[in-house]
Amino acid sequence: MSDATSTVEAPQPGRYSVPGPPPRPRSQLVGTGFAIAAGAMAVAGALGHYMARRHASGIDPGHDWLAGQSVPNPQLVYALITLLVSVVTAHWAVWASGRGERGHTWVGMALTLVMGLAFFNMVMFSLNRMELEIGSGEWATLAYAVTGLSLAILIVGMFYLGLMTLRSLGGSVGRDRSTPLGAAVFFWDFAVLAWAATWYVVYVVK
Amino acid sequence: MSGHAAGSAGAVPAEDPTAFGWLNTADHKRIGRLFIACSLLFALAGAVADLLVRFDLASSSGHTVLNADSFVQVFTFTRDALVFGTLIPLFLGIAIYVVPLQVGAPNIAFGRAAALSFWGWLVSAGVLVGAYIANGGPGGGFSDGVDLHLLALAGLVISLLTGAICVAVTTLTMRAPGMYMDRTPPFAWSALVTASMLVVSLGVVLGQIVVLYIEHRYGPRFLGGNYGIWSRIDWMYRTPQLFIYVVPVLGVVAEIMLAAARRWVFEPLALYFTMGLVGLFGFGAWANFGITNEGADIVDGLEGIVLVGLYAGALAGVSGLLALLGFTLWLSRNRPRPRSGAVSLTRPNTAVVAAFGAGTLIAVAALVGLIGAGVDWLQIAGRGTDGNAPLRFTTWITGQQSLLVYGAGLLGGLAALHWWAPKIWGRRLSELAGFASLLAIGGGALVAWLGPTLSGVFTEQPQFVYGAPLLTTRYASQVDDSGAEGLSALGAVGVVIVLVGVALVVLNLLVSVAMRKGAAAEADPWDGLTPEWLLPSPPPLGPAAALPELASGTPLLDAELNGNGLNGTGAAAERDAEEVPA
Repeated sequence: MSDATSTVEAPQPGRYSVPGPPPRPRSQLVGTGFAIAAGAMAVAGALGHYMARRHASGIDPGHDWLAGQSVPNPQLVYALITLLVSVVTAHWAVWASGRGERGHTWVGMALTLVMGLAFFNMVMFSLNRMELEIGSGEWATLAYAVTGLSLAILIVGMFYLGLMTLRSLGGSVGRDRSTPLGAAVFFWDFAVLAWAATWYVVYVVK
Repeated sequence: MSGHAAGSAGAVPAEDPTAFGWLNTADHKRIGRLFIACSLLFALAGAVADLLVRFDLASSSGHTVLNADSFVQVFTFTRDALVFGTLIPLFLGIAIYVVPLQVGAPNIAFGRAAALSFWGWLVSAGVLVGAYIANGGPGGGFSDGVDLHLLALAGLVISLLTGAICVAVTTLTMRAPGMYMDRTPPFAWSALVTASMLVVSLGVVLGQIVVLYIEHRYGPRFLGGNYGIWSRIDWMYRTPQLFIYVVPVLGVVAEIMLAAARRWVFEPLALYFTMGLVGLFGFGAWANFGITNEGADIVDGLEGIVLVGLYAGALAGVSGLLALLGFTLWLSRNRPRPRSGAVSLTRPNTAVVAAFGAGTLIAVAALVGLIGAGVDWLQIAGRGTDGNAPLRFTTWITGQQSLLVYGAGLLGGLAALHWWAPKIWGRRLSELAGFASLLAIGGGALVAWLGPTLSGVFTEQPQFVYGAPLLTTRYASQVDDSGAEGLSALGAVGVVIVLVGVALVVLNLLVSVAMRKGAAAEADPWDGLTPEWLLPSPPPLGPAAALPELASGTPLLDAELNGNGLNGTGAAAERDAEEVPA
């Protein structure tokens, strides 16, 4: 590596030169960070739309924003807790992967994915129980849109986790080989946070 | 000279040299070329559509070219084609090609994702056109077509975001060892700024599209249905968001001006900071326009001052950068050129003049935007209200779009194509055709700007009436006088001239590159400063066996300075040179 005061040999246009050190390895982590930024802004955009409409409807006195809809929050709270626990198991897997402990890595990822599936089961149960009908009203439609976006991000997160888990199963564990799994867990953290924000805005504050 | 091997990150399989190789390529050089070629075709389509709209607006009493059904669709298609079809993908394509070469990377990061970005963009653009043809799009009469338009728009956004992430990651993580961020070539930095800003701004529109799609397809039409779409997403096609899209133009300007000066700027951080400032102050348009629909009372009185702040920041960034480059050129006025083919201000070519024009037009656009936002703010704040419509609701906005998309965007694109054509295609473009297209695009953009701008100021001609968009073409009862017709016609003439200019660019590429009539280019035809000029023109397809070791973004300048008895990289050597007593 040259520094600012070293002599730089004159390069010749049109000629490649000889091999040297490899490029930096964290592309996947940085790329995931950018994807998270885009996803965060998408969720923020949708939630902003939701909140702006709620605000606008509040100007009209006597308007029932929820249109008589009740929200079964206990189940949704359990679902959120499940997701939060899955974050812990995901980080456990990354920690274990960094130490080269394959068994712990796979158990951690398996638990994460199972809890992810359990979350979807609980959310679908809640939505069915609510009998939330898309298009039945403004709140229902917006809730569908925002919830759907958050769930789509979680599905992408689970797919990403599954893919990187398979990679770990293929032997990609160890201190220098855990970055891809770490990137997937990074995305999962964001997906859980996005769901938590959606849940709070749409189902708690309403 | 030492160098480094092409590593695994971003590596691509061997390229298929046959035509089929274009379909399954993951090589940044092919993907970049595909983006550039297709975006130029969209520029033609967008300009033709804009021409139809402007001719239609040349009559204040009704439609002349289009009809009540098609006007809104053609109007919105114009914006889609010029922004998502031309401006963003053109510079994305140039960045995908040039940035890896500039930072010493073997390929773009996530080569397959970059390929997916192109094909996703192309397919989405095709579906978008299909949706418009099927009477979809904002204001469209065919409900499924409107839904299809929203899906296609989401596809365009996701595809362009993917490409932007590839470029940003390449600049951040795949720079050659030793090339720190404060030594990155200006264009690579500008591409990083734009990519980052696209990620955080286009993400917002993705969320909005989800809501609009669900509302339009399933919901009670509480957002206005097909007529409510445009008011919620048109911030993407207006200033200050447009400033984000033209930040790469500033990178092109800096590249070419510094090569003409054969000198590095005295303060590199100022170079990076000013470009970052333009991108940063372009961000936030979504908040200003997005919230003014449902939440207008939340920001009552604030929206005006927010816009003033955004334009002021963008103007500070552009003028700061141009001042910095101008000062650098002045410092180098007596510096001898190493060889006769070197580009300089005294021997300008199409790239130099187009870059100068594009940079100036961005500054003008920022200044004009600041003036307009200031006037609107005075009205919003209740000072100087005379009952006039705010400028941002008049064709003043169309004028700004013309200045930034046709003027800065296309002129910047022309500069970039002429500058990097030797590296991209191995051929120089015709200078004669280049100057002709330069005059046509620059002159046409000014006329296309002047017409609607004057009409907005003096007649208050509406730009787009959200609630009843057809009123836009029947503005006789809304304007102050009948001058709007003539001024709209003037704008249309400007677009015709721009169209001729774009056609000349396409023709120039066909003749010089496709028909191989252009002069074969050597590795460094301009005496450039940045690393891509170390490579053959064009570099071979596929991953390079080995890449140059780079200690700065200006290795060729470093070499020149070393030849003059100076040591060190460009920026440091310049400082050393300044400190040597005469």
